[in-house]
Amino acid sequence: MYDTFYWPRFGRLLKKTLLERPMQMLGLPGAILLIIFLYYAIFHLPMHQWFEIQKVAFLFGLTGGGAILASFVFGYFSTNAQGSSYLTLPASHFEKWLCAILIAGVLYPGIFLIFFRVMDASFVGWFHDHLDGTRPDYKQLYDTVNIFRFDSIIARNSIMYFLNYAGAMLVGSLYFNKVSIIKVVLVIGVLFLSMYFINLLIAKILIGDVENAFPFDSIDIWVRKISAGSRVVHSETRSIDLPSGSVGIFDIIIRYFLPAALWIIAYIRLRDKEF
Amino acid sequence: MIDIRNLSFGYKKGRLLYENLSLSLESGSIYGLLGKNGAGKSTFLKALIGLLFPKGGKISINGFEPRKRTPSFLETIYFIPEEVNVPSLTIKRYLDLFSPFYPLFDENFFYKCLQVLEVKTQDKLSTLSFGQQKKFVIAFGLACNTKVLLLDEPTNGMDIPSKTQFRKLISSVFTKDRMLLISTHQIRDLDNLIDKIIIVDNGEVLLNTSITEVTDRLCFKTFHDLPADPSEILYSEESLEGISVVMRNMDQEDSKVNLEHLFNAVTERPAIAKEIFVN
Repeated sequence: MYDTFYWPRFGRLLKKTLLERPMQMLGLPGAILLIIFLYYAIFHLPMHQWFEIQKVAFLFGLTGGGAILASFVFGYFSTNAQGSSYLTLPASHFEKWLCAILIAGVLYPGIFLIFFRVMDASFVGWFHDHLDGTRPDYKQLYDTVNIFRFDSIIARNSIMYFLNYAGAMLVGSLYFNKVSIIKVVLVIGVLFLSMYFINLLIAKILIGDVENAFPFDSIDIWVRKISAGSRVVHSETRSIDLPSGSVGIFDIIIRYFLPAALWIIAYIRLRDKEF
Repeated sequence: MIDIRNLSFGYKKGRLLYENLSLSLESGSIYGLLGKNGAGKSTFLKALIGLLFPKGGKISINGFEPRKRTPSFLETIYFIPEEVNVPSLTIKRYLDLFSPFYPLFDENFFYKCLQVLEVKTQDKLSTLSFGQQKKFVIAFGLACNTKVLLLDEPTNGMDIPSKTQFRKLISSVFTKDRMLLISTHQIRDLDNLIDKIIIVDNGEVLLNTSITEVTDRLCFKTFHDLPADPSEILYSEESLEGISVVMRNMDQEDSKVNLEHLFNAVTERPAIAKEIFVN
Protein backbone atom coordinates (compact mmCIF):
# COMPACT_ATOMS: atom_id res chain seq x y z
CA MET A 1 0.00 0.00 0.00
CA TYR A 2 2.86 2.38 0.86
CA ASP A 3 4.03 2.18 -2.75
CA THR A 4 0.56 2.93 -4.14
CA PHE A 5 -0.97 5.55 -1.88
CA TYR A 6 0.26 7.14 1.32
CA TRP A 7 -1.68 10.15 2.60
CA PRO A 8 1.21 12.23 4.02
CA ARG A 9 3.21 11.80 0.82
CA PHE A 10 0.20 12.67 -1.32
CA GLY A 11 -0.26 15.86 0.70
CA ARG A 12 3.38 16.77 0.14
CA LEU A 13 3.03 16.06 -3.57
CA LEU A 14 -0.06 18.23 -3.91
CA LYS A 15 1.65 21.06 -2.06
CA LYS A 16 4.76 20.70 -4.20
CA THR A 17 2.75 20.58 -7.43
CA LEU A 18 0.82 23.73 -6.61
CA LEU A 19 3.70 25.77 -5.23
CA GLU A 20 6.57 24.66 -7.44
CA ARG A 21 5.10 26.47 -10.44
CA PRO A 22 2.80 29.04 -8.87
CA MET A 23 2.45 31.04 -12.07
CA GLN A 24 1.06 28.06 -13.95
CA MET A 25 -0.88 26.34 -11.20
CA LEU A 26 -2.32 29.37 -9.40
CA GLY A 27 -1.69 32.38 -11.64
CA LEU A 28 -3.15 30.82 -14.78
CA PRO A 29 -6.53 29.85 -13.25
CA GLY A 30 -6.62 33.29 -11.61
CA ALA A 31 -6.00 34.96 -14.97
CA ILE A 32 -8.72 32.85 -16.63
CA LEU A 33 -11.25 33.81 -13.96
CA LEU A 34 -10.28 37.47 -14.36
CA ILE A 35 -10.74 37.31 -18.14
CA ILE A 36 -14.15 35.66 -17.72
CA PHE A 37 -15.14 38.35 -15.21
CA LEU A 38 -14.04 41.16 -17.53
CA TYR A 39 -15.78 39.58 -20.51
CA TYR A 40 -19.00 39.22 -18.53
CA ALA A 41 -18.75 42.71 -17.07
CA ILE A 42 -18.09 44.39 -20.43
CA PHE A 43 -20.50 42.54 -22.65
CA HIS A 44 -23.49 41.74 -20.43
CA LEU A 45 -25.23 45.12 -20.75
CA PRO A 46 -27.33 44.63 -23.89
CA MET A 47 -30.12 42.75 -22.20
CA HIS A 48 -31.12 40.61 -25.14
CA GLN A 49 -27.58 39.18 -25.27
CA TRP A 50 -27.34 38.39 -21.58
CA PHE A 51 -27.98 34.68 -21.96
CA GLU A 52 -25.47 34.46 -24.84
CA ILE A 53 -22.83 36.08 -22.64
CA GLN A 54 -23.58 33.68 -19.81
CA LYS A 55 -23.27 30.75 -22.21
CA VAL A 56 -19.96 31.87 -23.72
CA ALA A 57 -18.44 32.79 -20.34
CA PHE A 58 -19.44 29.45 -18.87
CA LEU A 59 -18.30 27.38 -21.83
CA PHE A 60 -14.91 29.07 -22.26
CA GLY A 61 -14.27 29.47 -18.55
CA LEU A 62 -14.89 25.83 -17.80
CA THR A 63 -13.78 24.09 -20.98
CA GLY A 64 -11.04 26.47 -22.15
CA GLY A 65 -9.64 27.18 -18.70
CA GLY A 66 -9.84 23.55 -17.64
CA ALA A 67 -8.18 22.29 -20.80
CA ILE A 68 -5.34 24.84 -20.58
CA LEU A 69 -4.72 23.99 -16.93
CA ALA A 70 -4.85 20.26 -17.70
CA SER A 71 -2.13 20.73 -20.31
CA PHE A 72 0.15 22.19 -17.63
CA VAL A 73 -0.27 19.73 -14.76
CA PHE A 74 1.95 17.16 -16.46
CA GLY A 75 3.97 19.85 -18.23
CA TYR A 76 7.37 18.76 -16.93
CA PHE A 77 8.68 17.13 -20.05
CA SER A 78 9.86 20.11 -22.07
CA THR A 79 13.33 19.79 -20.52
CA ASN A 80 15.37 16.72 -19.70
CA ALA A 81 16.08 17.93 -16.16
CA GLN A 82 12.48 18.72 -15.22
CA GLY A 83 11.16 15.49 -16.72
CA SER A 84 13.77 13.36 -14.95
CA SER A 85 13.15 15.15 -11.68
CA TYR A 86 9.38 14.64 -11.92
CA LEU A 87 9.47 10.97 -12.84
CA THR A 88 12.10 10.13 -10.21
CA LEU A 89 10.41 12.05 -7.41
CA PRO A 90 9.57 9.51 -4.68
CA ALA A 91 5.80 9.38 -5.13
CA SER A 92 3.75 6.68 -6.81
CA HIS A 93 2.34 6.96 -10.32
CA PHE A 94 -1.11 6.78 -8.82
CA GLU A 95 -0.40 9.72 -6.50
CA LYS A 96 1.02 11.79 -9.36
CA TRP A 97 -1.99 10.99 -11.51
CA LEU A 98 -4.46 11.63 -8.70
CA CYS A 99 -2.78 14.95 -8.01
CA ALA A 100 -3.30 15.99 -11.64
CA ILE A 101 -6.92 14.79 -11.56
CA LEU A 102 -7.54 16.68 -8.36
CA ILE A 103 -6.12 19.94 -9.70
CA ALA A 104 -7.51 19.85 -13.24
CA GLY A 105 -10.65 17.80 -12.69
CA VAL A 106 -11.88 18.76 -9.24
CA LEU A 107 -10.29 21.91 -7.82
CA TYR A 108 -10.41 24.07 -10.94
CA PRO A 109 -14.00 23.22 -11.98
CA GLY A 110 -15.10 23.51 -8.34
CA ILE A 111 -13.55 26.96 -7.98
CA PHE A 112 -14.83 28.00 -11.38
CA LEU A 113 -18.42 26.95 -10.63
CA ILE A 114 -18.41 28.82 -7.30
CA PHE A 115 -16.82 31.86 -8.93
CA PHE A 116 -19.25 31.80 -11.85
CA ARG A 117 -22.29 31.45 -9.64
CA VAL A 118 -21.20 34.34 -7.38
CA MET A 119 -20.34 36.56 -10.36
CA ASP A 120 -23.49 35.68 -12.28
CA ALA A 121 -25.79 36.07 -9.27
CA SER A 122 -24.20 39.45 -8.45
CA PHE A 123 -24.73 40.82 -11.96
CA VAL A 124 -28.24 39.41 -12.25
CA GLY A 125 -29.13 40.67 -8.74
CA TRP A 126 -27.73 44.11 -9.56
CA PHE A 127 -29.80 44.20 -12.77
CA HIS A 128 -32.99 43.18 -10.96
CA ASP A 129 -32.38 45.68 -8.15
CA HIS A 130 -31.89 48.55 -10.58
CA LEU A 131 -34.96 47.89 -12.69
CA ASP A 132 -37.58 50.58 -12.49
CA GLY A 133 -40.51 48.87 -10.75
CA THR A 134 -42.98 51.44 -12.06
CA ARG A 135 -42.40 50.51 -15.69
CA PRO A 136 -45.27 48.67 -17.32
CA ASP A 137 -42.90 46.05 -18.77
CA TYR A 138 -41.11 45.56 -15.44
CA LYS A 139 -42.17 41.94 -15.06
CA GLN A 140 -41.19 41.11 -18.62
CA LEU A 141 -37.78 42.76 -18.24
CA TYR A 142 -37.23 41.10 -14.88
CA ASP A 143 -37.89 37.66 -16.36
CA THR A 144 -35.59 38.27 -19.34
CA VAL A 145 -32.48 37.98 -17.18
CA ASN A 146 -32.01 34.95 -14.96
CA ILE A 147 -29.23 33.20 -13.13
CA PHE A 148 -27.53 30.66 -15.39
CA ARG A 149 -28.72 27.19 -14.47
CA PHE A 150 -26.05 24.53 -13.96
CA ASP A 151 -28.53 21.78 -14.85
CA SER A 152 -29.34 23.29 -18.25
CA ILE A 153 -28.45 21.48 -21.47
CA ILE A 154 -25.79 24.09 -22.21
CA ALA A 155 -24.17 23.63 -18.81
CA ARG A 156 -24.27 19.86 -19.16
CA ASN A 157 -22.76 20.03 -22.63
CA SER A 158 -20.04 22.40 -21.36
CA ILE A 159 -19.18 19.88 -18.64
CA MET A 160 -19.01 17.15 -21.29
CA TYR A 161 -16.67 19.29 -23.43
CA PHE A 162 -14.55 20.07 -20.38
CA LEU A 163 -14.16 16.42 -19.42
CA ASN A 164 -13.18 15.43 -22.96
CA TYR A 165 -10.83 18.30 -23.74
CA ALA A 166 -9.15 18.28 -20.33
CA GLY A 167 -8.68 14.52 -20.62
CA ALA A 168 -7.21 14.92 -24.09
CA MET A 169 -4.83 17.59 -22.80
CA LEU A 170 -3.68 15.36 -19.93
CA VAL A 171 -2.97 12.49 -22.29
CA GLY A 172 -1.39 14.79 -24.89
CA SER A 173 0.99 16.37 -22.39
CA LEU A 174 2.30 12.88 -21.61
CA TYR A 175 2.76 11.98 -25.28
CA PHE A 176 4.10 15.26 -26.62
CA ASN A 177 6.97 16.53 -24.53
CA LYS A 178 7.16 20.01 -26.00
CA VAL A 179 4.37 22.53 -26.80
CA SER A 180 1.86 19.80 -26.10
CA ILE A 181 -1.09 22.19 -25.99
CA ILE A 182 -0.61 23.20 -29.64
CA LYS A 183 0.01 19.64 -30.76
CA VAL A 184 -3.12 18.38 -28.99
CA VAL A 185 -5.24 21.15 -30.54
CA LEU A 186 -3.88 20.16 -33.96
CA VAL A 187 -4.59 16.48 -33.35
CA ILE A 188 -8.15 17.24 -32.22
CA GLY A 189 -8.64 19.49 -35.27
CA VAL A 190 -7.40 16.82 -37.66
CA LEU A 191 -9.55 14.22 -35.92
CA PHE A 192 -12.69 16.35 -36.22
CA LEU A 193 -12.05 17.19 -39.86
CA SER A 194 -11.40 13.54 -40.67
CA MET A 195 -14.60 12.48 -38.92
CA TYR A 196 -16.55 15.21 -40.69
CA PHE A 197 -15.31 14.24 -44.15
CA ILE A 198 -15.77 10.51 -43.55
CA ASN A 199 -19.31 11.19 -42.33
CA LEU A 200 -19.95 13.47 -45.31
CA LEU A 201 -18.60 10.89 -47.74
CA ILE A 202 -20.76 8.11 -46.31
CA ALA A 203 -23.83 10.37 -46.29
CA LYS A 204 -23.20 11.42 -49.90
CA ILE A 205 -22.82 7.80 -50.98
CA LEU A 206 -26.00 6.72 -49.18
CA ILE A 207 -28.24 9.76 -49.58
CA GLY A 208 -26.79 12.13 -52.15
CA ASP A 209 -27.62 15.82 -51.84
CA VAL A 210 -26.02 16.51 -48.43
CA GLU A 211 -25.25 20.00 -47.15
CA ASN A 212 -23.76 19.24 -43.77
CA ALA A 213 -22.61 16.12 -42.00
CA PHE A 214 -21.25 17.04 -38.63
CA PRO A 215 -20.58 13.89 -36.71
CA PHE A 216 -22.55 12.06 -35.55
CA ASP A 217 -26.14 12.60 -34.51
CA SER A 218 -27.63 14.25 -37.64
CA ILE A 219 -26.97 15.35 -41.20
CA ASP A 220 -28.52 18.20 -43.21
CA ILE A 221 -29.72 17.46 -46.69
CA TRP A 222 -31.14 19.63 -49.50
CA VAL A 223 -34.75 19.07 -50.40
CA ARG A 224 -35.60 20.58 -53.78
CA LYS A 225 -38.97 21.05 -55.54
CA ILE A 226 -38.53 20.70 -59.27
CA SER A 227 -41.00 21.94 -61.86
CA ALA A 228 -42.10 20.05 -64.96
CA GLY A 229 -39.36 21.83 -66.94
CA SER A 230 -36.72 20.45 -64.53
CA ARG A 231 -36.29 23.85 -62.93
CA VAL A 232 -35.75 24.14 -59.20
CA VAL A 233 -38.64 26.15 -57.89
CA HIS A 234 -37.97 25.76 -54.21
CA SER A 235 -35.18 24.34 -52.09
CA GLU A 236 -34.64 24.02 -48.38
CA THR A 237 -32.53 21.99 -45.94
CA ARG A 238 -33.89 19.30 -43.70
CA SER A 239 -32.21 17.31 -40.98
CA ILE A 240 -32.08 13.57 -40.74
CA ASP A 241 -31.42 12.52 -37.18
CA LEU A 242 -30.00 9.28 -35.95
CA PRO A 243 -32.54 6.92 -34.43
CA SER A 244 -33.03 7.73 -30.75
CA GLY A 245 -31.39 4.47 -29.67
CA SER A 246 -28.22 5.30 -31.59
CA VAL A 247 -28.21 8.87 -30.25
CA GLY A 248 -28.39 7.42 -26.75
CA ILE A 249 -25.35 5.22 -27.38
CA PHE A 250 -23.44 8.13 -28.92
CA ASP A 251 -24.39 10.29 -25.96
CA ILE A 252 -23.15 7.73 -23.45
CA ILE A 253 -19.89 7.37 -25.35
CA ILE A 254 -19.05 11.07 -25.44
CA ARG A 255 -20.42 11.94 -22.00
CA TYR A 256 -19.04 9.04 -19.98
CA PHE A 257 -16.98 6.49 -21.85
CA LEU A 258 -14.61 8.80 -23.76
CA PRO A 259 -13.72 11.09 -20.81
CA ALA A 260 -13.24 8.09 -18.51
CA ALA A 261 -11.03 6.41 -21.10
CA LEU A 262 -8.93 9.56 -21.61
CA TRP A 263 -8.40 10.17 -17.89
CA ILE A 264 -7.48 6.51 -17.32
CA ILE A 265 -5.14 6.46 -20.33
CA ALA A 266 -3.32 9.38 -18.70
CA TYR A 267 -2.51 7.11 -15.73
CA ILE A 268 -1.34 4.25 -17.94
CA ARG A 269 0.78 6.58 -20.02
CA LEU A 270 2.35 8.14 -16.92
CA ARG A 271 3.17 4.71 -15.51
CA ASP A 272 4.75 3.58 -18.78
CA LYS A 273 6.43 6.83 -19.69
CA GLU A 274 10.10 6.66 -20.58
CA PHE A 275 12.11 9.84 -20.72
CA MET B 1 23.96 -3.55 -4.75
CA ILE B 2 23.23 -3.23 -8.44
CA ASP B 3 22.80 -6.45 -10.36
CA ILE B 4 22.38 -6.34 -14.13
CA ARG B 5 21.69 -9.53 -16.02
CA ASN B 6 21.67 -9.81 -19.83
CA LEU B 7 20.53 -6.23 -20.28
CA SER B 8 19.60 -5.26 -23.82
CA PHE B 9 18.69 -1.73 -24.58
CA GLY B 10 18.18 0.38 -27.68
CA TYR B 11 16.08 3.30 -28.82
CA LYS B 12 15.20 1.61 -32.10
CA LYS B 13 14.27 -1.98 -32.71
CA GLY B 14 17.12 -3.91 -34.25
CA ARG B 15 19.71 -1.31 -33.24
CA LEU B 16 20.60 -2.09 -29.68
CA LEU B 17 22.90 0.16 -27.72
CA TYR B 18 23.61 -2.59 -25.22
CA GLU B 19 23.14 -6.27 -25.77
CA ASN B 20 23.35 -8.98 -23.11
CA LEU B 21 25.16 -6.73 -20.67
CA SER B 22 25.83 -8.29 -17.29
CA LEU B 23 27.37 -6.37 -14.44
CA SER B 24 27.49 -6.29 -10.65
CA LEU B 25 28.19 -3.16 -8.64
CA GLU B 26 28.78 -3.31 -4.91
CA SER B 27 27.89 -0.83 -2.19
CA GLY B 28 30.76 0.92 -0.47
CA SER B 29 32.39 2.08 -3.69
CA ILE B 30 32.65 5.13 -5.87
CA TYR B 31 32.42 3.98 -9.44
CA GLY B 32 33.61 5.98 -12.38
CA LEU B 33 31.69 5.21 -15.56
CA LEU B 34 33.85 6.21 -18.47
CA GLY B 35 33.03 6.22 -22.14
CA LYS B 36 33.28 8.29 -25.26
CA ASN B 37 30.57 10.75 -26.24
CA GLY B 38 27.56 8.76 -27.39
CA ALA B 39 28.78 5.54 -25.80
CA GLY B 40 25.51 5.24 -23.88
CA LYS B 41 26.61 6.36 -20.42
CA SER B 42 23.55 8.56 -19.82
CA THR B 43 21.29 5.87 -21.25
CA PHE B 44 22.81 3.38 -18.83
CA LEU B 45 22.19 5.69 -15.86
CA LYS B 46 18.63 6.38 -17.01
CA ALA B 47 17.97 2.65 -17.16
CA LEU B 48 19.28 2.34 -13.59
CA ILE B 49 16.95 5.04 -12.24
CA GLY B 50 13.96 3.69 -14.20
CA LEU B 51 13.59 6.48 -16.73
CA LEU B 52 14.24 4.09 -19.60
CA PHE B 53 13.08 0.49 -19.74
CA PRO B 54 15.30 -2.35 -20.94
CA LYS B 55 14.29 -4.28 -24.05
CA GLY B 56 15.53 -7.46 -22.44
CA GLY B 57 17.24 -8.69 -19.31
CA LYS B 58 16.85 -7.54 -15.74
CA ILE B 59 18.10 -4.77 -13.49
CA SER B 60 17.90 -5.11 -9.73
CA ILE B 61 18.98 -2.35 -7.35
CA ASN B 62 18.97 -3.34 -3.69
CA GLY B 63 16.15 -5.74 -4.55
CA PHE B 64 14.06 -3.18 -6.44
CA GLU B 65 13.15 -3.23 -10.11
CA PRO B 66 13.82 0.33 -11.34
CA ARG B 67 11.22 0.42 -14.12
CA LYS B 68 8.41 0.23 -11.54
CA ARG B 69 9.61 3.53 -10.03
CA THR B 70 8.05 2.74 -6.66
CA PRO B 71 8.42 5.35 -3.91
CA SER B 72 10.30 2.84 -1.74
CA PHE B 73 12.89 2.53 -4.50
CA LEU B 74 13.05 6.22 -5.43
CA GLU B 75 13.64 7.18 -1.79
CA THR B 76 16.87 5.20 -1.91
CA ILE B 77 18.32 6.55 -5.14
CA TYR B 78 19.04 10.02 -6.48
CA PHE B 79 19.90 10.94 -10.04
CA ILE B 80 21.63 14.15 -11.02
CA PRO B 81 21.24 14.58 -14.78
CA GLU B 82 23.74 16.35 -16.99
CA GLU B 83 21.39 19.25 -17.62
CA VAL B 84 19.82 20.80 -14.59
CA ASN B 85 16.91 23.17 -14.54
CA VAL B 86 15.82 24.30 -11.11
CA PRO B 87 12.38 25.80 -10.57
CA SER B 88 11.85 29.46 -9.88
CA LEU B 89 11.99 29.10 -6.10
CA THR B 90 14.21 30.31 -3.28
CA ILE B 91 16.53 27.80 -1.62
CA LYS B 92 14.32 27.71 1.47
CA ARG B 93 11.15 27.07 -0.53
CA TYR B 94 12.87 24.41 -2.65
CA LEU B 95 13.95 22.65 0.51
CA ASP B 96 10.48 22.95 1.98
CA LEU B 97 8.87 21.35 -1.09
CA PHE B 98 11.38 18.70 -2.14
CA SER B 99 13.32 17.49 0.89
CA PRO B 100 10.34 15.83 2.69
CA PHE B 101 10.29 13.19 -0.05
CA TYR B 102 13.67 11.89 1.13
CA PRO B 103 13.41 10.42 4.66
CA LEU B 104 17.17 10.66 5.34
CA PHE B 105 17.59 14.21 4.09
CA ASP B 106 20.16 16.11 6.18
CA GLU B 107 19.43 19.84 6.14
CA ASN B 108 22.58 20.84 8.03
CA PHE B 109 24.74 18.91 5.62
CA PHE B 110 22.88 20.49 2.69
CA TYR B 111 23.75 23.99 3.90
CA LYS B 112 27.33 22.85 4.53
CA CYS B 113 27.54 21.62 0.93
CA LEU B 114 26.21 24.94 -0.35
CA GLN B 115 28.83 26.73 1.72
CA VAL B 116 31.65 24.52 0.44
CA LEU B 117 30.49 24.89 -3.15
CA GLU B 118 30.03 28.64 -2.62
CA VAL B 119 26.38 28.77 -3.65
CA LYS B 120 24.85 31.80 -2.03
CA THR B 121 21.65 33.50 -2.98
CA GLN B 122 18.57 34.96 -1.38
CA ASP B 123 16.96 35.24 -4.81
CA LYS B 124 15.23 32.56 -6.82
CA LEU B 125 17.36 29.64 -7.97
CA SER B 126 16.48 30.25 -11.61
CA THR B 127 18.52 33.46 -11.47
CA LEU B 128 21.72 31.49 -10.78
CA SER B 129 24.18 30.63 -13.53
CA PHE B 130 24.15 27.09 -14.96
CA GLY B 131 27.26 26.15 -12.95
CA GLN B 132 25.72 27.47 -9.72
CA GLN B 133 22.45 25.66 -10.42
CA LYS B 134 24.37 22.47 -11.01
CA LYS B 135 26.23 22.86 -7.72
CA PHE B 136 22.93 23.49 -5.95
CA VAL B 137 21.44 20.27 -7.35
CA ILE B 138 24.58 18.34 -6.43
CA ALA B 139 24.39 19.68 -2.85
CA PHE B 140 20.74 18.63 -2.66
CA GLY B 141 21.48 15.19 -4.10
CA LEU B 142 24.30 14.60 -1.63
CA ALA B 143 22.17 15.72 1.32
CA CYS B 144 19.40 13.26 0.39
CA ASN B 145 21.62 10.52 1.83
CA THR B 146 20.29 7.93 -0.58
CA LYS B 147 21.98 4.54 -0.80
CA VAL B 148 22.69 5.04 -4.48
CA LEU B 149 23.70 8.31 -6.07
CA LEU B 150 23.95 8.54 -9.86
CA LEU B 151 25.74 11.55 -11.29
CA ASP B 152 25.78 12.21 -15.02
CA GLU B 153 28.65 14.46 -16.09
CA PRO B 154 28.55 16.29 -12.74
CA THR B 155 31.53 18.52 -13.42
CA ASN B 156 30.24 19.93 -16.71
CA GLY B 157 29.80 23.65 -16.30
CA MET B 158 31.96 23.84 -13.17
CA ASP B 159 35.04 26.01 -12.86
CA ILE B 160 38.35 24.54 -11.65
CA PRO B 161 38.00 25.44 -7.94
CA SER B 162 34.47 24.02 -7.95
CA LYS B 163 35.72 20.74 -9.38
CA THR B 164 38.19 20.46 -6.50
CA GLN B 165 35.46 21.24 -3.98
CA PHE B 166 33.20 18.72 -5.68
CA ARG B 167 35.80 15.98 -5.29
CA LYS B 168 36.25 16.82 -1.60
CA LEU B 169 32.51 16.73 -1.00
CA ILE B 170 32.06 13.42 -2.77
CA SER B 171 34.81 11.91 -0.64
CA SER B 172 33.21 13.29 2.50
CA VAL B 173 29.75 11.78 1.86
CA PHE B 174 31.05 8.37 1.04
CA THR B 175 30.12 5.61 3.50
CA LYS B 176 30.29 1.84 3.39
CA ASP B 177 26.58 1.41 2.71
CA ARG B 178 26.43 3.91 -0.14
CA MET B 179 27.29 3.61 -3.79
CA LEU B 180 28.16 6.47 -6.06
CA LEU B 181 28.24 6.06 -9.81
CA ILE B 182 29.74 8.98 -11.65
CA SER B 183 29.55 9.09 -15.40
CA THR B 184 31.87 11.40 -17.26
CA HIS B 185 33.95 11.86 -20.34
CA GLN B 186 36.10 14.38 -18.46
CA ILE B 187 38.25 11.64 -17.06
CA ARG B 188 40.71 13.82 -15.18
CA ASP B 189 37.91 15.09 -12.95
CA LEU B 190 37.74 11.67 -11.34
CA ASP B 191 41.43 11.50 -10.43
CA ASN B 192 41.92 10.37 -6.82
CA LEU B 193 38.18 10.12 -6.36
CA ILE B 194 36.96 6.77 -7.61
CA ASP B 195 37.93 3.34 -6.35
CA LYS B 196 36.23 1.31 -9.08
CA ILE B 197 36.19 1.92 -12.78
CA ILE B 198 33.82 0.88 -15.55
CA ILE B 199 34.72 1.57 -19.16
CA VAL B 200 32.00 1.19 -21.79
CA ASP B 201 32.39 1.35 -25.54
CA ASN B 202 30.27 0.17 -28.47
CA GLY B 203 27.61 -1.18 -26.14
CA GLU B 204 30.04 -3.35 -24.25
CA VAL B 205 31.63 -3.17 -20.83
CA LEU B 206 35.34 -3.31 -21.57
CA LEU B 207 36.47 -3.00 -18.00
CA ASN B 208 34.84 -3.26 -14.59
CA THR B 209 37.43 -3.44 -11.88
CA SER B 210 38.97 -1.66 -8.91
CA ILE B 211 41.76 0.88 -9.11
CA THR B 212 43.84 -1.46 -6.93
CA GLU B 213 43.36 -4.21 -9.49
CA VAL B 214 44.39 -1.83 -12.24
CA THR B 215 47.66 -0.97 -10.48
CA ASP B 216 48.27 -4.65 -9.79
CA ARG B 217 47.91 -5.60 -13.42
CA LEU B 218 49.08 -2.52 -15.25
CA CYS B 219 51.97 -0.18 -14.91
CA PHE B 220 51.93 3.50 -15.84
CA LYS B 221 55.39 4.75 -16.67
CA THR B 222 57.28 7.37 -18.64
CA PHE B 223 60.33 6.41 -20.70
CA HIS B 224 62.80 8.40 -22.72
CA ASP B 225 62.77 5.64 -25.33
CA LEU B 226 60.25 2.90 -25.91
CA PRO B 227 61.09 -0.31 -24.02
CA ALA B 228 62.58 -3.24 -25.91
CA ASP B 229 59.45 -5.46 -25.82
CA PRO B 230 56.58 -3.40 -27.30
CA SER B 231 54.17 -6.35 -27.06
CA GLU B 232 53.72 -5.57 -23.38
CA ILE B 233 52.63 -2.01 -24.15
CA LEU B 234 48.88 -1.33 -24.39
CA TYR B 235 49.15 2.35 -25.02
CA SER B 236 51.82 4.99 -25.50
CA GLU B 237 51.71 8.73 -25.80
CA GLU B 238 54.46 11.25 -26.29
CA SER B 239 54.72 14.01 -23.73
CA LEU B 240 57.21 16.68 -22.68
CA GLU B 241 58.76 14.29 -20.16
CA GLY B 242 59.16 11.48 -22.69
CA ILE B 243 56.90 8.64 -23.72
CA SER B 244 54.11 7.75 -21.30
CA VAL B 245 53.08 4.15 -21.55
CA VAL B 246 50.54 1.76 -20.12
CA MET B 247 51.95 -1.74 -19.96
CA ARG B 248 51.50 -5.04 -18.23
CA ASN B 249 52.77 -4.96 -14.68
CA MET B 250 55.14 -7.91 -14.89
CA ASP B 251 57.33 -6.95 -11.93
CA GLN B 252 54.61 -5.92 -9.45
CA GLU B 253 55.71 -2.31 -9.61
CA ASP B 254 53.72 0.45 -7.90
CA SER B 255 52.55 3.25 -10.16
CA LYS B 256 49.89 5.92 -10.14
CA VAL B 257 46.94 5.30 -12.42
CA ASN B 258 46.53 7.77 -15.24
CA LEU B 259 42.81 7.42 -15.98
CA GLU B 260 43.06 9.05 -19.37
CA HIS B 261 45.81 6.71 -20.50
CA LEU B 262 43.98 3.73 -19.02
CA PHE B 263 40.84 4.68 -20.91
CA ASN B 264 42.74 5.01 -24.18
CA ALA B 265 44.53 1.73 -23.59
CA VAL B 266 41.33 -0.18 -22.91
CA THR B 267 39.32 1.33 -25.76
CA GLU B 268 42.11 0.98 -28.30
CA ARG B 269 43.07 -2.55 -27.37
CA PRO B 270 39.97 -4.06 -25.78
CA ALA B 271 40.87 -7.68 -26.46
CA ILE B 272 44.22 -7.45 -24.69
CA ALA B 273 42.70 -5.47 -21.83
CA LYS B 274 40.06 -8.16 -21.35
CA GLU B 275 42.68 -10.86 -21.37
CA ILE B 276 44.74 -9.04 -18.73
CA PHE B 277 41.81 -8.46 -16.39
CA VAL B 278 39.99 -11.74 -16.85
CA ASN B 279 42.99 -13.90 -16.01
